[in-house]
Amino acid sequence: MKIKYWKPWTFVLPALVAYLIVIVAPSLYTLRLSFFSWNGIAADKKFVGIKNYTYLLTEDAVFRVALRNNILWMAGSLTVIIGLGLMFALLLNRRLKGRSVFRSIFYFPYVLSGIIVALMWTWLYHPTKGFFNVILQQIGLSQLTHPWLADPKTALAAVFVAAVWQGVGLPMVLFLAGLQSIPRDCYEAAIIDGAKPRQSFRYITIPLLSETFVVVFATTLVNAMKVYDIIYGMTAGGPAQSTQVLSSWMYYQTFKFNNIGVGSAISWVLVLITMIIIIPYVYYTNKKSHL
Amino acid sequence: MEETRNSTFSKVVNYILLIVLAIIFLIPILFIIMTALKSNADLVKNPVYAFPEIVKWGNFSEAWDKMSIYIRNSLFISVVKVPIGILIEALAAYALTRMNFKWANALFAFFLIGMMIPFQATLVPLNMMLNHFGLENTYPGIFMVYIGFGVPFGIMVLRGFLRSIPKELDESAFIDGCGELGKFFRIILPIAMPAIATLIILDFLSTWNEFLLAQIFITKNSMLPVTAGLLTFQGQHSNDYTLLSAGVLISIVPILVVYLFFQRYFVAGMAGAVKG
Repeated sequence: MKIKYWKPWTFVLPALVAYLIVIVAPSLYTLRLSFFSWNGIAADKKFVGIKNYTYLLTEDAVFRVALRNNILWMAGSLTVIIGLGLMFALLLNRRLKGRSVFRSIFYFPYVLSGIIVALMWTWLYHPTKGFFNVILQQIGLSQLTHPWLADPKTALAAVFVAAVWQGVGLPMVLFLAGLQSIPRDCYEAAIIDGAKPRQSFRYITIPLLSETFVVVFATTLVNAMKVYDIIYGMTAGGPAQSTQVLSSWMYYQTFKFNNIGVGSAISWVLVLITMIIIIPYVYYTNKKSHL
Repeated sequence: MEETRNSTFSKVVNYILLIVLAIIFLIPILFIIMTALKSNADLVKNPVYAFPEIVKWGNFSEAWDKMSIYIRNSLFISVVKVPIGILIEALAAYALTRMNFKWANALFAFFLIGMMIPFQATLVPLNMMLNHFGLENTYPGIFMVYIGFGVPFGIMVLRGFLRSIPKELDESAFIDGCGELGKFFRIILPIAMPAIATLIILDFLSTWNEFLLAQIFITKNSMLPVTAGLLTFQGQHSNDYTLLSAGVLISIVPILVVYLFFQRYFVAGMAGAVKG
């Protein structure tokens, strides 16, 4: 079965061209732009070396807020979203009537767009008519009512709660798939050996889920770096820039303030952080598949 | 695990927890439905959790007048983008797995790098490029951008599946006188249908829900997809919560329909796709 050496290239070509035009060339050009000072309109761009990067790290206070918010978002996702996802999966991992109904309910928010979730939750957080404040008032806790999205202290957490509602379904489904691939014999053997349920969980479930954990950690971290829609839709980075994240701040610097160089530098910071997360993951999964 | 903890007590606790959690998860949606069915006067006068005094279906028709164009645009974009994208991804995945391609692994690694590039890192040059060729606010421009961004993920999923198809099939097809294209369309593509169905659903979903690219590359209101359109709709009616809720619900319905019909693929697809 001889195939001419150029034949595979013709099959790859359409995808390769689209990929080069839309992702590879533009991102490299953005890297170049990050070393220039440019307002996007002027004919000449001024080469400034790494000044855009040093500006971000030393002078741009909002950049530091955005970076901190991304890190907080990652920490929150790793603990709350993954924790709840595992809990939901464990609750669903047994023979129950209506199991698939419950699974559908918990997973459904994940298929909605960030913008839809943002609009729904903006209304839930409405200062006077929103669900949360009205309920707090009704149960006699009116001192706890709060303009959740308008206060810089609570805004990020409020948006994150909406993101938890939206995001729990993904780790849940992945954990559920992982749990169902654990052979039942393991647990039966453990019972014969006198293991308590908690010991079975600690010494069978958790270790045998390790591959699922790797997948879940990687996707959760990457999603946390990319977070944009839900924040833009709920607070647009405000109040007082308190909910900016790297991707939204990149949008503002580039398309609102016309600091193309600075915006490009932010997007490459994003690329680098994403690579730091993904490369070990790819390395790990490749090593696995060669074993 | 299912057998070992099957005492009635733990089952009941399990049920109660699930029901409580399900109610918590449904509250936001129920709240939106209630709001959408009220008149503004009703909303001002009565507490938000009260049932509507009179059901006002008019919110939906009013919202539909504004939202229908965005939904139509999203449908059009998805219906064109998804099949074209998957076809070129499948062709590439075929070359990477079944053509004794010397560069297959290197090229696959090269495509995977694309998964690490956030959209943000491409926006300015893409914008310049689209403007240069007069493609801003045109569907060909949008399709190109969306298709390009779908390539790495699509190739990853399809390559994983095509690799698992036994090689003997190719040899018998070759003996029967099938060319490469014939083999691709008549043998491999039909076998890969489960993976392709999953990818269609995932791709439809991510195209439908895409916001950032639409926000940057589509500035004409009449061309906006449903995500960016919904935000415009919100901007125009920022205090009209009954109408807004109706608009949100209208934009949820298409996703809900797809979700209910193809749920099997969503769940299996997510679990399978992420693992590669």
